[in-house]
This record gives sequence, C-alpha cells and structure tokens, in this order.
Amino acid sequence: MAFIHAVKLEKRFIVREKRKKGTLLREKKTVHALQDVSFEIEQGELVGYIGPNGAGKSTSVKILSGILTPDGGDVTVGGIVPWKERRKHVRRIGVVFGQRTQLWWDVPIRDSYDLLKDIYRIPGADYERRLKELAEALQLGDLLRTPLRQLSLGQRMRAELCGSLIHRPELLFLDEPTIGLDAVSKLALRDFLKWENREYGTTVLLTTHDMEDIVALCPRVMVLGHGKKLFDGALGDLLSRYDTVRTVSVRYEEQAASPRLPASVPLVREGENLIITYSPEAFPTSEMIALLQGAGTIRELTVQPRNIDHLVADMYREMDL
Amino acid sequence: MDTIKLYLHSMRMLIRSQLEYPASFILQTIAQLVMEGGEMLAVILLVDRFERMNRWEAGDLFFFFGIMSVTFYLTECFGRGITGNFPYLIRTGQLDTFLARPRGILTQVLCSAVDPRRITCIAVGIAALVMGCHLSHVTWTVLKAALFAEAVVCGFFLLLGLFTVEGIFCIYSVKSVELVNALTYGGRSACQYPVDAFPRPLRVLFTVLAPFALTLQQPASVILDKPLFDGPVWTAFLSPLSGIVVFALVWLWFQRTMRYYRSTGS
Amino acid sequence: MQYRGAVLGGVICQVFFGLILIAVYRTLYAGKPQSMPLERITSYVWLQQAFFRMLLASDPDLLDKIRTGGIAYDLCRPLNLYGFYYVRIAAQKLTGSLMRAAPMLVFALLLPKGWGLAAPATPAGLLLAAWGLGLGLLCVSALENITMGFTMRTLDSRGMQAMLNLLMMIFSGNVLPLILFPDSWQKVITLLPYAQLLDAPIRLYTGEAALSEAPGMMMIQLGWTIVLTALGVLFWQRNQRRMEIQGG
Repeated sequence: MAFIHAVKLEKRFIVREKRKKGTLLREKKTVHALQDVSFEIEQGELVGYIGPNGAGKSTSVKILSGILTPDGGDVTVGGIVPWKERRKHVRRIGVVFGQRTQLWWDVPIRDSYDLLKDIYRIPGADYERRLKELAEALQLGDLLRTPLRQLSLGQRMRAELCGSLIHRPELLFLDEPTIGLDAVSKLALRDFLKWENREYGTTVLLTTHDMEDIVALCPRVMVLGHGKKLFDGALGDLLSRYDTVRTVSVRYEEQAASPRLPASVPLVREGENLIITYSPEAFPTSEMIALLQGAGTIRELTVQPRNIDHLVADMYREMDL
Repeated sequence: MDTIKLYLHSMRMLIRSQLEYPASFILQTIAQLVMEGGEMLAVILLVDRFERMNRWEAGDLFFFFGIMSVTFYLTECFGRGITGNFPYLIRTGQLDTFLARPRGILTQVLCSAVDPRRITCIAVGIAALVMGCHLSHVTWTVLKAALFAEAVVCGFFLLLGLFTVEGIFCIYSVKSVELVNALTYGGRSACQYPVDAFPRPLRVLFTVLAPFALTLQQPASVILDKPLFDGPVWTAFLSPLSGIVVFALVWLWFQRTMRYYRSTGS
Repeated sequence: MQYRGAVLGGVICQVFFGLILIAVYRTLYAGKPQSMPLERITSYVWLQQAFFRMLLASDPDLLDKIRTGGIAYDLCRPLNLYGFYYVRIAAQKLTGSLMRAAPMLVFALLLPKGWGLAAPATPAGLLLAAWGLGLGLLCVSALENITMGFTMRTLDSRGMQAMLNLLMMIFSGNVLPLILFPDSWQKVITLLPYAQLLDAPIRLYTGEAALSEAPGMMMIQLGWTIVLTALGVLFWQRNQRRMEIQGG
C-alpha cells in the first residue's frame, strides 16, 4: 500500500448563521470542507496542493497530520491512522504553518531547538549532527544565537524549517512556506527543499498560492476546489489543457514596419513594441515567426506562454471555483 | 521523569524570556503584590470591624484566606498555560502546533506558560497563613503538614480542572466564556471564607460542583482543630481527593470534545 | 449586538459575585450588627457591581494602537487629541456600563430585602446620585486618559497601568465598600479622586450622605474632575510634542 493512503475523506463544519429577525434560534448551516477526497502518495514524492482559498487544502493537511478528525473516510500514513495514534504518527512528521510560528519568540532559536530536542526525545549525538547539517544547509550560522523576534521574514522561515526537520521526519507538510518572502529567500528555500527531498527521501506535501513554487518543486499537483479533488497528475498535463495562447513581443529596426496578420489575430502597439497574441494550434509558432521576419528587420523578439497565474485563474474559472 | 525534565526545561526558557524585559517584569510583580495585598487588607478590615464570622475567629479567617491564596496563585503561576492561555490557544488555532508534536496536550499546554509574577501573591498568602497560625495558636504535627501539602496539591488540580472548562467552552465556540469565571475567580473570592458563611445553594455549589470546601477548607479546618465537616480524622485526607476527581472528569470531557476541535484559520 | 452572549455571560458572572459578597456581609452582620443598616451595604454592593465596567480600562484597541504606533494616523487629524480620546473613552464607559447595569439593577431590585437593592432614600437623593454618577464618569475618564498618557510615554506600561487600576479597585470601594473601612480612614479616603467615581453617588443614593452634604460632595467631585483633566491635557500636550519630534 502507498505511504499515504486516503480514501473518501469527508469533513463537515457547522456554521452558525446570523440570527434572522423574528427567529429565536440561529440557523445552522453545514459546510462541506471535504467531500469524497481520495489519493495516494508514495514515499519520497514532492506533491503540490493547490486550490483557491477555502477549498479544503488546510483541512486535509490537518487531517493528515492528526490535528483534525474527519467525519468520514479512512487515512493511513505508513500504516497508522493519524488521529487514532496521534503521538506515534506525529513523531514522523514535520509541519510548517506559514503564518504561525512553532518556535519561541523571545529566546535565541538555538534554545528553541534544544527544547524541541526534549519534546521529540532526540538522542544528543543525533541532534547535534542534524542541527549542524540543517544550519549549514539553511545558512543559519550566527542566527542560532538570535532571538526569533529579531529575524527577518525569510530568516524566520528558514528557522521554522530547521525546527520542523530537526527530528528527521519522513513526511513534511508545508503550508504556504514562501508567502511574503523576497526573491532570494524563495529561491534558497526551494533549493533547500529539493536537497532535503533528494538527500533523505523526505515526502513533501506543499500547499501554496505561488505557482512558481509548484513549477520549481512539484512534479505532481493535486487541485482542490469546494472540498473536492478536481485534478491529480503532472503539472504539465494540467497546464497544457489551459495553455492555449502565446504572446509575441517584437521590435523592428524600422519604426513603420507592420506585419500583415490575419484579422483573427489581434495586434497591439506598446511604445516601440508590437504585442501579438495567438493560438499556436491555429497558427504554428514557426509560421508566426516567419511572417514577422518578412515585415522588416527584427531587433528583438520574445515568445511567451501565458503567465501561470493567469492559467490557474482560467482553470479555477472553468472549474467554477 | 522525562516529562518533568521537559517541564523544567520549558520553565527555564520561559522565565528567561520574561526577564528580557526586566523593568516591566518588576513593575508587574509589584502590581501583583498590591492587588493581593488589597484583598488581604479587605479581610483584615472586615475582621477589624466584625471580629468574627460564625464560629471562625480572626486567625481562622486569615488561615482560610491564606490557603486559598497560596493554592490559587500557585496554580496561576505554574498552571498559567491553562489558567491564562488555554482559550487563547484554542481560539487562535495555536493548539495545532501542540497537536502536531508527539507529546500529550496537557503536558504541552502546561509547558507553554509560567507566570512568575505571582510570586508576590503567594508571599501574601503565606503571610496570611503565618498570621493565622499565630493568632489561632495552631500546633503543627507531621500529619497536619502532610494534610496541608495534600490540600494545596489537590486544590491545584481542582483549579486546573475548572479553568479547563473555559477551554472546552471555546471548542464548542460558546461566546460567554465569562460564565466559567463564576466558578474559577468566583470560587476563589467566595472560598477565601469558610463555606458555612453561605446559604445552602452556594454551599452545595462549592462542596459538590467546585469542591473547594472539600479540597481546601476541610483540611484547613482540621489543621485549626475546628473541623468544618464532622468525621474520623482519616476522612480529612480523603476529602481533598475530590479535587483530583473533578480534574480527571473535566479532562476526560476535554478529550471527548477535541473531536469537535475545528482549528481556526484557513 | 454581536456580543450579546458575552455581555450576558459577564452580567451573570457579576451578579454571582454580588451574591457572594452579600452573603458574606450578611453572615458577618448576623454575628455583630453595625450601626448602619444592612440594606445600605447590599445596595452599595449592587450599585458597585452594576457600574463596575465604568472603572475598567475601556478600550484595549486604543492601547494597542499606541503600542504599535497606529496612533500616528490620529496624530495627523486636525483635532484636539485629548478631547477626541476623552469623548471616546467616556462614551464607551457610558454605553458599556449602562448596557450591563440595567439588567443587573432590575434583578437586584426584585431580590428580597436584605439581599437586594433598596429603593433610594429620597427622590432627591436619586437625582443627586444620577448627577453625581455623571460627574464620576467625567472624573474616571480623566483618570484613564492620564493612564493612557503613561502608556504613550513608556510604550510597555502594563505594570504602571495594573498598579493604577488596583489603586482604583481598592479606593473606589469595589473590593470592600468604603463605608466598611475604619471610620478614621474614611475621612481621608473619601476625599481621594477614586472615591468620587462611584462611592460618592452611592452614598447619596442610600442616604448614607445627607442631602445637605451633597453640595460639598459635588464640589469635591467637580474639583477633582477639573484637576485631573488639566493634568491630563498638560501630559498629553508634552507627549504629543515629543512624539511629533520622534516621528520626524
């Protein structure tokens, strides 16, 4: 059986609505946070988990990590049912909640790790070795002696990651790990996650809104919407369904150059650049470039797929999310 | 053993982090002294005006005040995770972090906070106890000392149990958490006086539902040689255990309630 | 009205505290009756409990605002800051305590004699008490603005605030009715600003203070209100000047 095995997960929340005039009791409404969600994840996989806000991503991660009890369905992680044998289960997992810290605010982060060592009952030698390794990989170095509150956002995320991996979990849950980070920090974080996954075969399940994270890290994505699983497979497969448009930006030596395009292909002039949007299916890219070359001397030309955020937005729209 | 080591380690760290702001810490500690001193002053002034309460004389009343004060503030100090932070942990979803670690929830919540500022309140309570012993001419024996220790420990658990109810209410997302204050802070205010001061419903409340009378006052009255409830001496050792019973029941209730824990946040 | 549940819980809790206190005083009275009638004490306790909210620091948002620097927005507004906050605090105290006081007082009036709130000694006493309560509100708002001034100055002033609040709890008669303090103390503590908030109006209500004493009491209340307001204004002006310099 697969490492993570989830069958027909279901979770309902009861929401009390605002009291309507003339009624004594507030009406209760049941919201299905998860409905009939099934999937399997093998050991060592890096899986991206996407979907708009309120799709049920966090709920399912919380069920997988033993925090919430589902209302229906079965889950086993390495043969253990998370919420039934919580302590045994969580020893093998690491969790990073993007906007919530698990370290202690006013003490040097090294002291926080020392306490985690006691919490997870990590043998002394193992702990020292692991901390040294993680501190190096995450470039914590001198930060170990700095209180958490004095760290920048990027530094803090690195510190959190170190904290959640110090007990060598087999499975890592990341909830929006790159939120609010600058470009350098994001790249460093992604490199680290790849390294950790390659080096130790750590299984990673990542929820994010940043599609760049998924492109950089996850060969496989699951899309969740309205509590249901809508897609499960390679990112490329998902994108090719929606990736039907290309944009060419071209600049000619001659100001007046104007390619003769079919009427169905729109052309916009932005300063010296001509922007052309076309569908490669109807109009192969090679033909497009040949046509553009015919109109004058090209100084600069770029062909771009659509921005991935637009693609995802299209996808959500089509799935009616 | 391991758990105690973890608790001590956590305490060391928390206290160190509070001392990061020494001026604020000292002022707040003094403020606590003024507060509990004020409560004590109220009892002294009442005794000054009324001399006695039923069959209890000044020294007895100070002793009752003292045992309640010491127990309550020991709980506030070392049980701060539950008495102060618990509803907050639940409401903000911070409890998630604890659930994702291989330790018991109770252990982790208790390890999450300490309030050393209460030390001055405890000192006021001890002063009241000393005054009470002196005025009431208490003769201490080993058995009485053991009974006193048992009462304080059981009272600690009773209070932890009552404060936990607040957390349970939070999980059910009940808004009127203040109601529970009637049992916790209300219990403290009421049961710094012997329960026979109260009409029957209140007496029953503080003997059965929130049994301060059994955990703290029966032992106190036996130490004063004026038992609150009659019975053989050994029953005085039995009655404080009711505090542990309340704690155990509430904690069972809590664990059943955790099924409904929703963990707020996206 | 979203907080209906919370308000109700708070009121029930407050009523419970009131009942406990009264039970204690009743038992003490049974042992050694005092010259002043028991009903005066029970009325005192209920009125204190009912308007307890007035004494509490009323606006945690405001304190947060000061701590986090959000107050900078208000500094940019073309208005007198002290006046702005004074009105805000007073309004919050008024609505907060009236909302709680009304159900509690109704409940207390329905309780039997010796447990509940007795009718006012005289109709004039009731009117004077209401008037005195208004002055008390002004006075306590001025006091709180001074506390707020401290907060601005030191940013983390929880210790200072706690201390000031405690002085308030003790000397306003909330912990122990001022009429139960030793008689010699009362001569001094009834002159303190804290006694002007609730204690003075309650004395007028219960008849502890004769109507002829009313003008004198009101003068003291008014005096403190003016002094405290003046102090607050001065304090805020100096703070504001400093903050503007800090803000650059």
